Amino acid sequence: MALRAAVLRHLRVPVQFSALARRECQPTPCSGGSLRLFSSQDDRSTKEEVTERVLSVIKRHPKVDPSKVTPDVHFQKDLGLDSLDTVEIVMALEEEFKLEIPDNEADKIDSCNLAIEYVCNHPMAS
Amino acid sequence: MAAPTRSEALSLLRSLIRTSRQFCDYNIREYAKRRVVDGFRHNRNLSDPSSISSAYADGKAQLEVAKRQSAVYSLYAPKVKSIMEAHRIN
Repeated sequence: MALRAAVLRHLRVPVQFSALARRECQPTPCSGGSLRLFSSQDDRSTKEEVTERVLSVIKRHPKVDPSKVTPDVHFQKDLGLDSLDTVEIVMALEEEFKLEIPDNEADKIDSCNLAIEYVCNHPMAS
Repeated sequence: MAAPTRSEALSLLRSLIRTSRQFCDYNIREYAKRRVVDGFRHNRNLSDPSSISSAYADGKAQLEVAKRQSAVYSLYAPKVKSIMEAHRIN
Protein backbone atom coordinates (compact mmCIF):
# COMPACT_ATOMS: atom_id res chain seq x y z
CA MET A 1 0.00 0.00 0.00
CA ALA A 2 2.74 2.36 0.87
CA LEU A 3 4.48 1.59 -2.38
CA ARG A 4 1.26 2.10 -4.34
CA ALA A 5 0.62 5.43 -2.69
CA ALA A 6 4.14 6.49 -3.37
CA VAL A 7 3.89 5.53 -7.02
CA LEU A 8 0.58 7.33 -7.41
CA ARG A 9 1.92 10.45 -5.82
CA HIS A 10 4.96 10.27 -7.98
CA LEU A 11 2.90 9.85 -11.16
CA ARG A 12 0.47 12.63 -10.46
CA VAL A 13 2.94 15.40 -9.87
CA PRO A 14 4.41 15.68 -13.38
CA VAL A 15 0.94 15.67 -14.98
CA GLN A 16 -0.24 18.53 -12.83
CA PHE A 17 2.93 20.36 -13.41
CA SER A 18 2.78 20.05 -17.20
CA ALA A 19 -0.90 21.06 -17.28
CA LEU A 20 -0.14 24.14 -15.26
CA ALA A 21 2.88 24.92 -17.37
CA ARG A 22 0.88 24.65 -20.58
CA ARG A 23 -1.79 26.93 -19.27
CA GLU A 24 0.77 29.51 -18.33
CA CYS A 25 2.69 29.55 -21.55
CA GLN A 26 -0.38 29.52 -23.85
CA PRO A 27 -2.56 32.48 -23.06
CA THR A 28 -5.96 30.69 -23.29
CA PRO A 29 -7.15 30.79 -26.89
CA CYS A 30 -10.76 30.07 -25.92
CA SER A 31 -11.28 32.85 -23.43
CA GLY A 32 -12.33 35.36 -26.09
CA GLY A 33 -15.82 33.93 -26.29
CA SER A 34 -15.74 33.21 -30.01
CA LEU A 35 -15.00 29.52 -29.49
CA ARG A 36 -16.90 27.80 -26.72
CA LEU A 37 -15.51 24.34 -26.24
CA PHE A 38 -17.91 21.70 -24.88
CA SER A 39 -20.89 23.97 -25.31
CA SER A 40 -23.87 22.74 -27.27
CA GLN A 41 -24.73 24.22 -30.62
CA ASP A 42 -26.61 27.44 -30.86
CA ASP A 43 -30.07 26.54 -29.59
CA ARG A 44 -32.03 28.92 -31.76
CA SER A 45 -30.64 27.83 -35.10
CA THR A 46 -31.08 24.13 -34.30
CA LYS A 47 -34.67 24.70 -33.23
CA GLU A 48 -35.39 26.56 -36.46
CA GLU A 49 -33.83 23.78 -38.48
CA VAL A 50 -35.80 21.11 -36.60
CA THR A 51 -39.01 23.08 -37.13
CA GLU A 52 -38.34 23.32 -40.83
CA ARG A 53 -37.61 19.61 -41.18
CA VAL A 54 -40.63 18.58 -39.10
CA LEU A 55 -42.87 20.79 -41.23
CA SER A 56 -41.48 19.37 -44.45
CA VAL A 57 -42.11 15.82 -43.22
CA ILE A 58 -45.71 16.71 -42.38
CA LYS A 59 -46.23 18.44 -45.73
CA ARG A 60 -45.03 15.32 -47.52
CA HIS A 61 -47.91 13.29 -46.06
CA PRO A 62 -50.40 12.71 -48.90
CA LYS A 63 -53.49 13.72 -46.94
CA VAL A 64 -52.11 17.01 -45.69
CA ASP A 65 -52.75 20.31 -47.44
CA PRO A 66 -49.25 21.84 -47.40
CA SER A 67 -50.58 25.38 -47.27
CA LYS A 68 -52.23 24.70 -43.91
CA VAL A 69 -49.11 23.47 -42.16
CA THR A 70 -47.69 25.85 -39.58
CA PRO A 71 -45.68 25.10 -36.43
CA ASP A 72 -48.83 25.42 -34.31
CA VAL A 73 -51.20 23.01 -36.07
CA HIS A 74 -52.86 20.14 -34.27
CA PHE A 75 -52.87 17.00 -36.43
CA GLN A 76 -56.44 15.92 -35.79
CA LYS A 77 -58.19 19.22 -35.05
CA ASP A 78 -56.56 21.42 -37.67
CA LEU A 79 -55.39 19.07 -40.41
CA GLY A 80 -58.31 16.66 -40.21
CA LEU A 81 -56.11 13.61 -39.79
CA ASP A 82 -57.08 10.47 -37.92
CA SER A 83 -55.06 8.41 -35.47
CA LEU A 84 -53.64 6.23 -38.27
CA ASP A 85 -52.31 9.32 -40.08
CA THR A 86 -50.82 10.56 -36.84
CA VAL A 87 -48.97 7.28 -36.39
CA GLU A 88 -47.73 7.51 -39.99
CA ILE A 89 -46.43 11.04 -39.45
CA VAL A 90 -44.68 10.13 -36.21
CA MET A 91 -43.07 7.15 -37.96
CA ALA A 92 -41.96 9.41 -40.81
CA LEU A 93 -40.40 11.74 -38.22
CA GLU A 94 -38.59 8.75 -36.74
CA GLU A 95 -37.16 8.02 -40.14
CA GLU A 96 -36.22 11.62 -40.87
CA PHE A 97 -34.39 12.17 -37.58
CA LYS A 98 -33.12 8.58 -37.20
CA LEU A 99 -34.91 8.11 -33.90
CA GLU A 100 -36.75 5.36 -32.18
CA ILE A 101 -39.74 6.87 -30.40
CA PRO A 102 -41.24 4.53 -27.79
CA ASP A 103 -44.97 3.88 -28.03
CA ASN A 104 -46.00 5.77 -24.92
CA GLU A 105 -44.13 8.87 -26.15
CA ALA A 106 -45.44 8.50 -29.68
CA ASP A 107 -49.02 8.40 -28.39
CA LYS A 108 -48.57 11.85 -26.85
CA ILE A 109 -47.35 13.53 -30.03
CA ASP A 110 -50.51 14.90 -31.60
CA SER A 111 -49.48 18.35 -32.77
CA CYS A 112 -46.63 20.04 -34.59
CA ASN A 113 -45.44 21.81 -31.45
CA LEU A 114 -45.13 18.62 -29.45
CA ALA A 115 -43.30 16.92 -32.31
CA ILE A 116 -40.79 19.77 -32.61
CA GLU A 117 -40.30 19.86 -28.86
CA TYR A 118 -39.79 16.11 -28.67
CA VAL A 119 -37.20 16.08 -31.45
CA CYS A 120 -35.38 19.11 -30.00
CA ASN A 121 -35.10 17.47 -26.60
CA HIS A 122 -34.01 14.12 -27.97
CA PRO A 123 -30.25 13.62 -27.54
CA MET A 124 -29.91 11.26 -30.52
CA ALA A 125 -31.78 13.33 -33.10
CA SER A 126 -29.76 13.92 -36.24
CA MET B 1 -59.53 -13.66 -27.41
CA ALA B 2 -60.61 -10.23 -26.19
CA ALA B 3 -60.69 -7.40 -28.72
CA PRO B 4 -57.47 -5.37 -28.67
CA THR B 5 -57.48 -1.86 -27.30
CA ARG B 6 -56.90 1.17 -29.46
CA SER B 7 -53.34 1.58 -28.26
CA GLU B 8 -52.58 -2.10 -28.87
CA ALA B 9 -53.78 -1.72 -32.44
CA LEU B 10 -51.69 1.43 -32.98
CA SER B 11 -48.72 -0.32 -31.44
CA LEU B 12 -49.13 -3.18 -33.91
CA LEU B 13 -49.25 -0.62 -36.72
CA ARG B 14 -45.98 0.89 -35.50
CA SER B 15 -44.29 -2.48 -35.26
CA LEU B 16 -45.43 -3.37 -38.76
CA ILE B 17 -44.13 -0.09 -40.21
CA ARG B 18 -40.82 -0.49 -38.38
CA THR B 19 -40.43 -4.00 -39.72
CA SER B 20 -41.42 -2.95 -43.24
CA ARG B 21 -38.62 -0.40 -43.24
CA GLN B 22 -36.06 -3.16 -42.86
CA PHE B 23 -36.65 -4.75 -46.24
CA CYS B 24 -33.56 -4.03 -48.29
CA ASP B 25 -35.28 -4.08 -51.66
CA TYR B 26 -36.90 -0.73 -52.41
CA ASN B 27 -39.95 -2.22 -54.11
CA ILE B 28 -40.69 -4.69 -51.35
CA ARG B 29 -40.08 -2.05 -48.69
CA GLU B 30 -42.43 0.46 -50.24
CA TYR B 31 -45.03 -2.19 -50.96
CA ALA B 32 -44.90 -3.42 -47.36
CA LYS B 33 -45.35 0.07 -45.92
CA ARG B 34 -48.24 0.75 -48.28
CA ARG B 35 -49.86 -2.59 -47.58
CA VAL B 36 -49.63 -2.11 -43.80
CA VAL B 37 -51.32 1.28 -43.86
CA ASP B 38 -53.94 0.14 -46.38
CA GLY B 39 -54.76 -2.89 -44.25
CA PHE B 40 -55.38 -0.73 -41.21
CA ARG B 41 -57.49 1.69 -43.22
CA HIS B 42 -59.49 -1.13 -44.69
CA ASN B 43 -60.39 -2.41 -41.23
CA ARG B 44 -60.80 0.91 -39.47
CA ASN B 45 -64.59 0.71 -39.31
CA LEU B 46 -64.84 -2.78 -37.86
CA SER B 47 -67.14 -2.81 -34.86
CA ASP B 48 -67.78 -6.46 -34.19
CA PRO B 49 -65.38 -7.55 -31.41
CA SER B 50 -64.75 -10.96 -32.95
CA SER B 51 -63.83 -9.55 -36.36
CA ILE B 52 -61.63 -6.92 -34.65
CA SER B 53 -59.74 -9.58 -32.77
CA SER B 54 -59.40 -11.80 -35.83
CA ALA B 55 -58.02 -8.82 -37.82
CA TYR B 56 -55.63 -8.10 -34.96
CA ALA B 57 -54.50 -11.72 -34.82
CA ASP B 58 -54.00 -11.64 -38.58
CA GLY B 59 -51.87 -8.51 -38.23
CA LYS B 60 -49.78 -10.17 -35.55
CA ALA B 61 -49.23 -13.18 -37.78
CA GLN B 62 -48.27 -10.93 -40.69
CA LEU B 63 -45.82 -9.12 -38.43
CA GLU B 64 -44.04 -12.40 -37.78
CA VAL B 65 -44.01 -13.17 -41.50
CA ALA B 66 -42.59 -9.70 -42.26
CA LYS B 67 -39.88 -10.07 -39.63
CA ARG B 68 -38.85 -13.45 -40.95
CA GLN B 69 -38.93 -12.39 -44.58
CA SER B 70 -36.96 -9.20 -44.01
CA ALA B 71 -34.28 -11.31 -42.36
CA VAL B 72 -34.31 -13.84 -45.21
CA TYR B 73 -34.30 -11.16 -47.93
CA SER B 74 -31.39 -9.41 -46.24
CA LEU B 75 -29.30 -12.43 -47.18
CA TYR B 76 -30.21 -11.92 -50.82
CA ALA B 77 -30.09 -8.14 -50.94
CA PRO B 78 -30.16 -6.64 -54.44
CA LYS B 79 -26.67 -5.67 -55.57
CA VAL B 80 -27.86 -2.53 -57.27
CA LYS B 81 -30.11 0.01 -55.62
CA SER B 82 -33.37 0.93 -57.24
CA ILE B 83 -33.26 4.07 -59.36
CA MET B 84 -36.00 5.41 -57.10
CA GLU B 85 -33.65 5.59 -54.14
CA ALA B 86 -30.47 6.41 -56.03
CA HIS B 87 -30.76 10.14 -55.35
CA ARG B 88 -31.09 9.71 -51.62
CA ILE B 89 -28.05 10.35 -49.51
CA ASN B 90 -28.37 8.00 -46.58
